[in-house]
Amino acid sequence: MLMRTNQMAANTSVAGSDKARPAVQLDGVTKRFGDSIALHEAWLKIGSSEFMTLLGPSGCGKTTLLNLVAGFLEADGGEIFIEGALVTETPPHMREIGIVFQNYALFPHMSVAKNVAYGLKTRGVDKKEMARRVDDALALVKLTGFSDRKPRQLSGGQQQRVALARALVIKPKVLLLDEPFSALDKNLRGSMQVELKQIQRELGVTTIFVTHDQGEALSMSDRIAVMSAGRIRQIAAPDDIYRRPADRFVASFVGDANVLNGRLVERSGDAAVVSIGDVRASVPAASIAEVSIGGSVDVFVRPEHLSVTSRGASGSLPGTVTTQVFQGGHVDLYIDAPGSARDHILLRSPGIAALSSCPVGAEIGLSIGSDDIVAFPPGEAP
Amino acid sequence: MNTRPFLGWFVSPAGLVAVALVAAMLAVFQYSVRAYIPGSLEVSEFTWQNFAAMLRPLYALAFWNTVLLCFETAVFTLILAYPLAYALVRTNSSALRSFILIVSVTPLFLGEVVRTYSWMIVLGNNGFLNTLLLKLGLLDRPVQMMFTAGGVVAALVHVTMPIMVIMLAAALSHIDRNYEKAAESLGAGPVRVFLTITLPLSMPGIVAGFSTAFAWTFSAFATPQLIGGGRVSTVSTLIYQLGFSSFNFPFAASLSIIGLALSLAVVALLKKAASPLERMAATT
Repeated sequence: MLMRTNQMAANTSVAGSDKARPAVQLDGVTKRFGDSIALHEAWLKIGSSEFMTLLGPSGCGKTTLLNLVAGFLEADGGEIFIEGALVTETPPHMREIGIVFQNYALFPHMSVAKNVAYGLKTRGVDKKEMARRVDDALALVKLTGFSDRKPRQLSGGQQQRVALARALVIKPKVLLLDEPFSALDKNLRGSMQVELKQIQRELGVTTIFVTHDQGEALSMSDRIAVMSAGRIRQIAAPDDIYRRPADRFVASFVGDANVLNGRLVERSGDAAVVSIGDVRASVPAASIAEVSIGGSVDVFVRPEHLSVTSRGASGSLPGTVTTQVFQGGHVDLYIDAPGSARDHILLRSPGIAALSSCPVGAEIGLSIGSDDIVAFPPGEAP
Repeated sequence: MNTRPFLGWFVSPAGLVAVALVAAMLAVFQYSVRAYIPGSLEVSEFTWQNFAAMLRPLYALAFWNTVLLCFETAVFTLILAYPLAYALVRTNSSALRSFILIVSVTPLFLGEVVRTYSWMIVLGNNGFLNTLLLKLGLLDRPVQMMFTAGGVVAALVHVTMPIMVIMLAAALSHIDRNYEKAAESLGAGPVRVFLTITLPLSMPGIVAGFSTAFAWTFSAFATPQLIGGGRVSTVSTLIYQLGFSSFNFPFAASLSIIGLALSLAVVALLKKAASPLERMAATT
């Protein structure tokens, strides 16, 4: 096994994509449940101190991947490394990982302090040191003075803090977070996200965060791996994921997107020009490489990249406002634009001006901002 | 009342049974405080004499033996049933699960007498077990197992197993696997996870199963009677002897009353000892 590890390490250094050794590395990891493939050849490198999010709908394989890294599931193929060491067959209790579960899984028969101390006890840390580290961990999550409480006497947010302290106190090589915010109410969720991100940055702990919430993923991550149907579709920084989605799935799962009917006009190098009605837009050429000139494409435009102009203005699409939704900071307009799009087009207008300027039934022109428009070969909505 | 118009009708059969039970218990109590007329089923004047007689070593010993027997049975049943219940709840193999269910639950449908009779075949001096051990050369002469407390306990453990397995399995299946996963991730090996997480969290089931096994064994009659053969005296066999051999109904009745009180007391005690554990489990 040692020889194999060295070999693999040699291979990676030859590949030489990362200078530093990745904290977690998955090489073609596959997991099957019976006949169905839960995870299909996942390749992933997570840097030291990186906050990596696995984002996808339920059943996409993100939790399977997390369980494989934790060791609760055994891979059917591929290898997993943690800090360069092969751990594919290492049992969970020898992997030195910290986990925060969706339901926190605080031991109900132990006090807060005993919960936090559990991982130190298994490591045979002496009493004095243990007490000090438990106190430090509770201070870190702002729960000093809660040592003697039982988990059931804590609120959801406090339970989550204890779970975080329990996972962090052992100085894990990787921190795994399995949808930790889904049980919290919306206001608390926001503040816990900020706090967790702060703690993670402060400690520099490598983190894998599993969520189906794109907002959480975009706001907290250093990088996001978007997953669907057992495959990793794209691994990139949040803004790249949002601005340059690799495929239709990513484009429609992360953020809102309007799908407009377009045609490929020309292609030059990395860029291509597509037309939507009379409007022309520049898009990356790579994603529509197999479409021939004149062929139809689906053009993905974010709601905030659309704006309202007068009907008939040059470079605009005709449309009719069908619904106004006041969202506080912005107004969502649903626009019927037959010919340009199969479904209603969503336009996000900042401020409240659109409430009066674009009443329901108003005939308007739609203009498309030039940034961050992507096109894919035509297909069914994913 | 109007929200549940049929409640009264639904409850009435249970009520009827309850009334009959209370009436029977009152009759037993009435007998227990009357004087015995030897040779007659009639009873005479009111007396506490029956209860005082129970302090005699012969009867006190029977009570002590019964409590001991129940305790031993409950302990051995627990030790044997726990791994079965654990495997039943945790195995991924549906074949193994069916096997455990069949093995542990079917005895429930056989009835105490049939099961006890099978044990007599197993435990006899020329029985299955002795023959086997002699053939294997592990013994040079048969060991007495029938008519011993050990034999009675063995058969009672078998009788009590199904209910213990079911109660333990119920408790174990309610333990969130994430507790164990969390412990594992924190560095605990399988033994440590079991001792510090699974076992304490299954305590409510252990206590419930233990008290049920205890109460069940306390009232067991066929097994101690047939396998003990009169040489292992328990409260229930004593009641039988006094009531139906000597026809001393008053004394049999007073034994019943004290037996009932004792078994209720023990179960209540166990329940009290377990209440903090159950409170804890209720919030998991």
